[in-house]
Amino acid sequence: MGSFFELMNGFASALTPTHLAMCFAGVALGQIVGVLPGIGPSAAIALLLPLTYGSSPTAAIIMFAGIYYGAQYGGTLTSVLISVPGEASTVMTSIDGHQMALQGRGGVALGIAAIGSFIAGTLGTLGLMLLAPPLARGALAFGPPEYFALVVLGLTALAAVGSSLSKGLATGVLGLVLGTIGIDPQTGVSRFDFGFVWLLDGIEFIVLTVALFGVGEVLATCTMGTVRPVVEVKGMLPTREDWRASRMPILRGSFIGFVVGVLPATGATIASFVAYIVEKKLARDPSRFGHGAIEGVAGPEASNNAAAAGAMVPMLALGVPGSGTTAVILGALIMFGLRPGPEMFEKNSELVWAVIASMYIGNVLLLLMNLPLAGLFAKLLKVPYH
Amino acid sequence: MAVRPAPGEVGLAILFALVGVVWIVGALGMPFWEGFAPQSGFLPFVYGIMLAALSAAVMLGLFRAENTAADLQPVGKPLLVLAALTLAVVGVQAAGFGIAIFLMMAFLFAVVERLPVIRSLIVSGLTTAVLIGVFRAWLGVPLPAGPFGI
Repeated sequence: MGSFFELMNGFASALTPTHLAMCFAGVALGQIVGVLPGIGPSAAIALLLPLTYGSSPTAAIIMFAGIYYGAQYGGTLTSVLISVPGEASTVMTSIDGHQMALQGRGGVALGIAAIGSFIAGTLGTLGLMLLAPPLARGALAFGPPEYFALVVLGLTALAAVGSSLSKGLATGVLGLVLGTIGIDPQTGVSRFDFGFVWLLDGIEFIVLTVALFGVGEVLATCTMGTVRPVVEVKGMLPTREDWRASRMPILRGSFIGFVVGVLPATGATIASFVAYIVEKKLARDPSRFGHGAIEGVAGPEASNNAAAAGAMVPMLALGVPGSGTTAVILGALIMFGLRPGPEMFEKNSELVWAVIASMYIGNVLLLLMNLPLAGLFAKLLKVPYH
Repeated sequence: MAVRPAPGEVGLAILFALVGVVWIVGALGMPFWEGFAPQSGFLPFVYGIMLAALSAAVMLGLFRAENTAADLQPVGKPLLVLAALTLAVVGVQAAGFGIAIFLMMAFLFAVVERLPVIRSLIVSGLTTAVLIGVFRAWLGVPLPAGPFGI
């Protein structure tokens, strides 16, 4: 019951004009970020971080969360229309979604993706609301050994990021190495400042974030991409038959996405892969997959949105990022002087519940934007990407 | 067909290993342990060894794995973008934020992306003006002004 009142307070905060505007700005930016291949939500949030200096932390985090889950909706458009996933998490959608588009059912694919994303996003936020507070309460009983274990978990989870165990661990250790730059807080000895006074305070998190996620992503993608014809978007609403075929994949995808999203260092991409594989395994005729099966769109789309909500659970409850994007949001919380982790539900409960409430609102906004405005969003794809 | 690993990946692994070695050497010049507690050199030493060892593991993996030609991507364009960005960052103090960013963007648009020169200059100028407006005028960030005051 306590959570219900907290949520109502959260809605009261999220529905103030400023926070509502930030939520709308976040989901709209997320849509655009998702549509444009080459820039992901983590890069977009990293690049926007400096702009939020001086603003209210609640408003900024509402916007960043909106960019995160909004990008999951936006990435679908390019996957379906031109078979170029706007986001890594929509790669699986492009397999059957684009085939549907080639068969003249692109509108239905986008429609079921939007509806599935809305259902999964809402269920995922419900899961976040129910799971995060008890997890945080349990974590409040943590002592130094538990915190040490949590840090080790976060660092070893890095190994699961990317394709190589050794590369993941090496980059994690490089982070630890960079963390030793500056004055040692325990002994006061200056370490690895190489004579530069500005290194005495260490390297700012925001500098690393912008360099790694912003510049890194631009450099990584500036060799890719081609201009392709845009498929026309007509008829967004799925038929009764489509809905019957999609409802169970949406529910399964929501569950899979949320569970995978909660696990540190997994995120929406892995969730969508798992959901697609599960749907193919459960299908009566698996040979339809890859040739325009609507279940191949509904399952992965639901799962990547539920995963975005799921990834917020360890971030808010434990201070451990569930994905690359939540790692950047975590950095934003630190930038605002907040301490991510179990204490947030007690010390910053207004912010946490306002963000959770804004996620319900954001999902409704995204559904309203996606169904009627998909044709308009498709025009963004005419931007040449060399 | 198996081919050699990407030079960039090998170079990065070598760079990581070198950082590890620098940390090991640097840590040896710091107090290591006193009584029951580690001192400022202990963790950098351990991290340095871990980084060097993991970099060696990455290198080993690169040469043992079969790298297909599809894995290798052209690096010319990213290197040009990186070079322009580096020069802009280095030149910000001397030339000022506005000049450095304008020149970087004009270079990226006109040379790297091969867009028409006039359009590149207009877009670069407008974007620089917006950045200066947001960061210097609105947020009050003391960006380096350079000899021309921008």
